[in-house]
Amino acid sequence: MNEPPVEHASIGTYLKVAAILSVVTALEFAVIYIRALTPILVPLLLVLSAGKFALVVLFFMHLRYDSRALAVLFCGPLALATGLVLALMTLTGAFLVLGR
Amino acid sequence: MSAAWVTPAASWITTVDHKRIGVLYGVTAFLFFLVGGVEALLIRLQLAGPGGRVVSAETYNALFTMHGTTMVFLAIMPLNAAFFNYMVPLLIGARDVAFPRLNALSYWILLFGGLFLNASFLVGAPPDAGWFGYANLTSKQFTPGPSVDFWLLSLQVLGVSSMLGGINFIVTILNMRAPGMTLMRMPVFVWMTLVVQFLIVLAFPPITVGLIFLMFDRFFGTRFYDVAAGGDLHLWQHLFWIFGHPEVYILILPAFGIVSEVLPTFARKPLFGAPVVIYSGVLIGFFGFGVWSHHMFAAGMGPVAALSIATMLIAIPTGVKIFNWLATLWGGAIRTTTALHFAVGLVGLFTIGGLSGIMHASPPVDLQQTDSYFVVAHLHYVLIGGSLFGLFAGAYYWWPKITGRLLDERLGKLQFWVVFAGFNVAFFPQHYLGAIGMPRRIYTYSAAAGWTFWNAVSTVGAFGIALGVLLFMVNAWRSLTRGAPASADPWDGRTLEWRTSSPPPLHDFDTIPPIYGRDTFWREKHGRPGIVPAPTHDHTHIHLPAPSRWPVLTALGIAVLAIGALTHVAVVLAGALFTVVCMFAFALEHHRNPAHAQQDGDLGVDHRKVAVWVFLGSECFFFGTLIATYLAYNGRSVVGPEPHQILNIPLTTLSTFDLLMSSLLMVLALAAVQRDDRRQARLWLFGTALFGLIFLGFQVYEFTHFVREGLTLQRNLFGSTFFVLTGFHGGHVTVGVVWLLALLILDLRGRLGRVDAVKVEVAGLYWHFVDIVWIAIFTLVYLMP
Repeated sequence: MNEPPVEHASIGTYLKVAAILSVVTALEFAVIYIRALTPILVPLLLVLSAGKFALVVLFFMHLRYDSRALAVLFCGPLALATGLVLALMTLTGAFLVLGR
Repeated sequence: MSAAWVTPAASWITTVDHKRIGVLYGVTAFLFFLVGGVEALLIRLQLAGPGGRVVSAETYNALFTMHGTTMVFLAIMPLNAAFFNYMVPLLIGARDVAFPRLNALSYWILLFGGLFLNASFLVGAPPDAGWFGYANLTSKQFTPGPSVDFWLLSLQVLGVSSMLGGINFIVTILNMRAPGMTLMRMPVFVWMTLVVQFLIVLAFPPITVGLIFLMFDRFFGTRFYDVAAGGDLHLWQHLFWIFGHPEVYILILPAFGIVSEVLPTFARKPLFGAPVVIYSGVLIGFFGFGVWSHHMFAAGMGPVAALSIATMLIAIPTGVKIFNWLATLWGGAIRTTTALHFAVGLVGLFTIGGLSGIMHASPPVDLQQTDSYFVVAHLHYVLIGGSLFGLFAGAYYWWPKITGRLLDERLGKLQFWVVFAGFNVAFFPQHYLGAIGMPRRIYTYSAAAGWTFWNAVSTVGAFGIALGVLLFMVNAWRSLTRGAPASADPWDGRTLEWRTSSPPPLHDFDTIPPIYGRDTFWREKHGRPGIVPAPTHDHTHIHLPAPSRWPVLTALGIAVLAIGALTHVAVVLAGALFTVVCMFAFALEHHRNPAHAQQDGDLGVDHRKVAVWVFLGSECFFFGTLIATYLAYNGRSVVGPEPHQILNIPLTTLSTFDLLMSSLLMVLALAAVQRDDRRQARLWLFGTALFGLIFLGFQVYEFTHFVREGLTLQRNLFGSTFFVLTGFHGGHVTVGVVWLLALLILDLRGRLGRVDAVKVEVAGLYWHFVDIVWIAIFTLVYLMP
C-alpha cells in the first residue's frame, strides 16, 4: 500500500494563492480600460498572466514542493514550446524577433 | 523453442508482457515493411526505363505516398518500438514497462491504424498527395475523394499509439532502473530510446494540430489552408516539418543506440567516450527542434540564416558519434559477426547520408537540390544506410535472446553483402540523377532526358535489396525451425539482457541485479576487482501484470471512430461510446488491487504522476501550436467580424474567475482525500466539477452568441482559429469534468480513500493544467489589443 501522501501546502496557503489569482484577474480586466497604460499594456498583461501561471504551477500543482525531476519534465517542454510559438510567429510574419 | 511461443492466439491478444508485445511489434512492422518494399519495387520498375507503363500516373502518386507513409510510420518506427519493448526493460533490469496495459494499447492502435491506412487500397482511394501532404494539394478542391481523409485519420490514430508509447517508455526508463543504475550507467541504447521518446511526445503535437486543421478544413469547411481567406500555406509546411525533422532522429537514434551496443561487444572494448556519445544523442535531439525550416528553404519564407546555422551545428554531435564508434573499433579484438557487419555498414553509409545532408544546410545549394533525386538519395542513405542497417544489426544481435535460437552467420553475411551492394547500386546513382536535373515524384521521363542508364541501374539495385531481405526471411525461418539453440550469453555481452536466459523467463530476471557501473555484467564475468556477482535465484514476491482484453477493445473503438469519420456520424457516435466504455473499464480494472497500489520508482515519485507530467509537457506543445496559429493569423481575415467587434471581455473575465476558483476547490479536494476526510472530499470534488460545468456553460453561451452574430468556424480565419483553439480547450475541460465525476462516483460508492490519493492528484494536475492554458488564452486572445 502507498504511504499516506504528504500535504504540499496548508489550506491557508491555497486560499491566499486563490485570493491573489482573483485580484490579478481583476487587475488584468481593469488595465485594458486605462488609457495611460496603453504603451505598456502588452508587456504588463504578459507579466500578470505569467505570474498567475506560475502561482498555479508552483502551489496548486505543487511543483514548488515536488521532485525537481518533475519540474524539469514540465519546464523543459514549456520553454521549448514557448520558443516554438515565438519562432512560428516570426516565420509567419506575425512579429519579427531578428528582423528581415 | 520455449513453450511460451506455442500458446493459443487469445493469449497473444490479451498479453501485456513487454516481450510478447515486442514480438508483435516486430512481426507487424516487418509485414508492413514488406508492403512498403513492394511499393518501392513498383516505383523502381516504373522508372526503370523511359516512358514506363507499369502503372498509371495516379497509381504512381499513390505508390510513392503510401511507400513513404508506410516506411516511416508503419515499418521503421514500429521496428524500433519492437526493440524498445523487448529490450529496454531487460537492459535496465526491470520486469516490465511502467504501464503494461498501455503498452498493449499502443500496439493495437498501431495495428488498427496501419490496417485502416491500407484499407484505402481496398476501396480504391489510396492517399496520393505525398507523405508530406502539402497544403493545399490536400484540400477538398484539389483532392476531393476520401484518399487524404484516410491518410490524415490514420496518422492521427498512429500518433495516439506513438504518444502512449512515448510516455510509457519515459516513465519506465526514469523510474524503473535496477538498483545502482544511474542515468549515466544506462546502456546507450536505453539513452537513445529515452531521447527518442521525448522527441515523440514533443514533436507529435504540432503535426497533430496541423492534421486537425486539415481535418477541419476538409470536414467542416474551416479556412486554415485557404489562401483566398487569408490563410498561409507555409503554416502546414511549418507544422509538418516541426514534426518531420525530429522524426528523422526518431527514426535514426535507435539505430545509433543499437550500434553503440553492438560495436563494443564485438570489439571487446568499452564504448569509446560513452558519456560523449550520450550527450551527443541528447544534443542531436535538442537541435532537431531548431532545424525544421531547412526543408522549406525553397518555399520563400524569409529569414533563414539562423536555421541554416542550426542545421550545420547538428552535424557536430553526429560527427562525434561517428568518431567515437571508429575509436571503439580501433585496437579492438574484433569478431566479424553479421551484427558487426551491419553496424559498420551503418557507420559508413550514414556518414555519406550525413554529408549530403550538410549540403542542404546551405540555402543556395539546397535550392538546387530541393525536389530532385539528390534528396531521394540523401534521405535513403540516412534511413536505409542508417536506420535499416542499424535495425538489421539489432536483429542479428538480439535474435538469439528473443528466440533462443541462433541465426546462420554465413547466410547473414551473405545477406549483408547483397543488401550493401544492392543499396549502393540503387541509391548512389540517384545523387547523380538529381545533379543532372531529374526531379523527384515524376512518374515517367523521356529518353531524351539522359536519365535512362542510371535509372535502370537503380532499379537493379532495388531488387538487390529485395533479395537481401528475402535472404533474411529464409535465415529467420531456418533459425526458428531448426536453428542451433542459443545460450544465455552467446556474444559474451556487456549488458544485463545477457544475464538472463534466452529467451528470458516471463519475469525477466530471477533477481534484479544490482549495478556498479557501466558494463557491470561484463566486468563481473571477467573478474574485475570490486565487483560482487549478483545473487541468482529469488522467485518470491514477483508480481507480473495480468492479461487484459481492454487494450485491444479500446483500440478497436478508436478504429471504429476513424471508420465512422469516413462513413456515417452514427458510426462515430457508436465508436466514441464504445471507446469511452472501454476506457472506463480499462481504468477501473485494477482499481483497489493492492498489487497496483505501490508504483513509486527511482525518482521517488509514483509512475502515474511522472506520466501525467510528461503528458502535460506534451500538451504545452499542443496548445502552444494552437495559440501560435491564432496569433499568426490574427488580423489576417479578409472579412469580419474581427475579435474586438465580438469578444465579450467582462463575461470572459467571470468565466476565467470561475475556472481559477475551480482549481482552488481541486486542491481542497486533494487535501481532503489525503486526510481521508470523505465528506469534504466529496464536497470539493463535486464543487470542482460544478465549476467546470459552469465554465462550459459560459463557453456554450459565448459560442451560440457568436454564431448568431455571424461568426462561425467557416466565416473567416478568426472564426476558424478561435473556435478550434477555445473548442479544444473546452474539450479538455469536458474530459476533466468527466474524470472528476468518475472520482466522485467512486467516492460515493466508498471506493476512494487515502490510498487512492495519487489518482486524485493526477486528475488535479490535469485540471490545473487546463486552468493555466486558459490563463494564457484569456490574455493572448481576449485581453491583448
